Amino acid sequence: MSQSLRPTRTRERRATVLAGLILLQALCALFFIGDVIEDFRIDGQFDNPHLILESVAAATLIAGVIFLMVELRSLLLRMSEMQLGLDIARGHVAEIIDAFFAEWGLTDAERDVAIMMLKGVDNDTIARIRKTASGTVRAQATRIYSKSATDGRAQFISFFMEELMSGDIAPEETAEEKSDQGSAALPEKKTQAPKQSSTKELT
Amino acid sequence: MAFTSKPNSGRTGARSIPRARKLISASGTTSARDIQVWDPLVRLIHWSLALTILLNGAVVEEESQVHEWIGYIALGLVAIRLVWALIGPKHARFAAFPPSPGRAVRHLRDLLAGDRRVHLSHNPLGALMVYNLWISVILIGITGYMMTTITFFGIDWVEEAHEVVFGWLLFSVALHVAGVAVDSWRSGVNLVRSMVSGRKTIPQGREVE
Repeated sequence: MSQSLRPTRTRERRATVLAGLILLQALCALFFIGDVIEDFRIDGQFDNPHLILESVAAATLIAGVIFLMVELRSLLLRMSEMQLGLDIARGHVAEIIDAFFAEWGLTDAERDVAIMMLKGVDNDTIARIRKTASGTVRAQATRIYSKSATDGRAQFISFFMEELMSGDIAPEETAEEKSDQGSAALPEKKTQAPKQSSTKELT
Repeated sequence: MAFTSKPNSGRTGARSIPRARKLISASGTTSARDIQVWDPLVRLIHWSLALTILLNGAVVEEESQVHEWIGYIALGLVAIRLVWALIGPKHARFAAFPPSPGRAVRHLRDLLAGDRRVHLSHNPLGALMVYNLWISVILIGITGYMMTTITFFGIDWVEEAHEVVFGWLLFSVALHVAGVAVDSWRSGVNLVRSMVSGRKTIPQGREVE
């Protein structure tokens, strides 16, 4: 799971490679500059072709380093934006799920069970985690299905999948579009811009 | 809006935020509290610089050609870092850790008062240490270079300055390591790991600056 939620990994590798290149190239550039200065000090004049060529090489290397640095910075920026988007999306998912739970009037115990069901935890494990009998969990699951008007675990889970995949534009627009269709289960929460805890921490 | 006029909507909203937070953290993956702070260039430069100091201080023979080259590399690393502090990303910039003794003193007072805030970039004391280390390395590099020139070759004060600043650098490094240890213990963020992975894992409910 943690792997699929980290699409930035290849970019991270690219950033590291880029940083290594910047370091090496910058050191090379500094070497050339040092060499030019040293030659100039010994010669005292700037008109021999060797020195000019060397200066041009040094300047080119410096320009390359600056370019790579700018490139690396924008790559890092893209990565952090992507991470930010992912975190916001996660927060939204949590908010939306929670809004539906509230709409259906799930009790706190049922919410916990429902969340674990959505995470793919089976009944026996839920019972172990919540320290209850597995019969209790089965009963809670049944109540969750009836409150959410679904006829089993698969449909319960796919209800959220369907909800998340139905919109391909901004969340607000999705909500409006849904309400036009008169979707019964849409909770009022969704039209508000969800307050985000993670965005603040990331900036 | 028709939806928000429902009587229980306010209550639902208020309750859903802590619950949402719980959901996020319960997912067990990199939660929102795992924050990328040190970019790969900063990390590479940091460990390379540490390596050059270690090599020139303890491994490589003084007055050897290799010693000189490693010294120049150290100078180059600091130079690259300074450029990166101008054009790099947010946490690597000078603006993220201005050299401010006033802030450092305030930070120290807060520390003694039991403040446990987490700083994403360097904390104010750490920032002063950063500048101190860079300046020391630059001074050592310059005096070291001067020793190779005809003008300054064999002049006592240059050589002495080279040695004295190196002693100061060793002391600073020790202080730096101690500071990292203390701050890791204080804030609960493993700073050494963050300089390797680039991420600071902020403990739940800790204030971030």
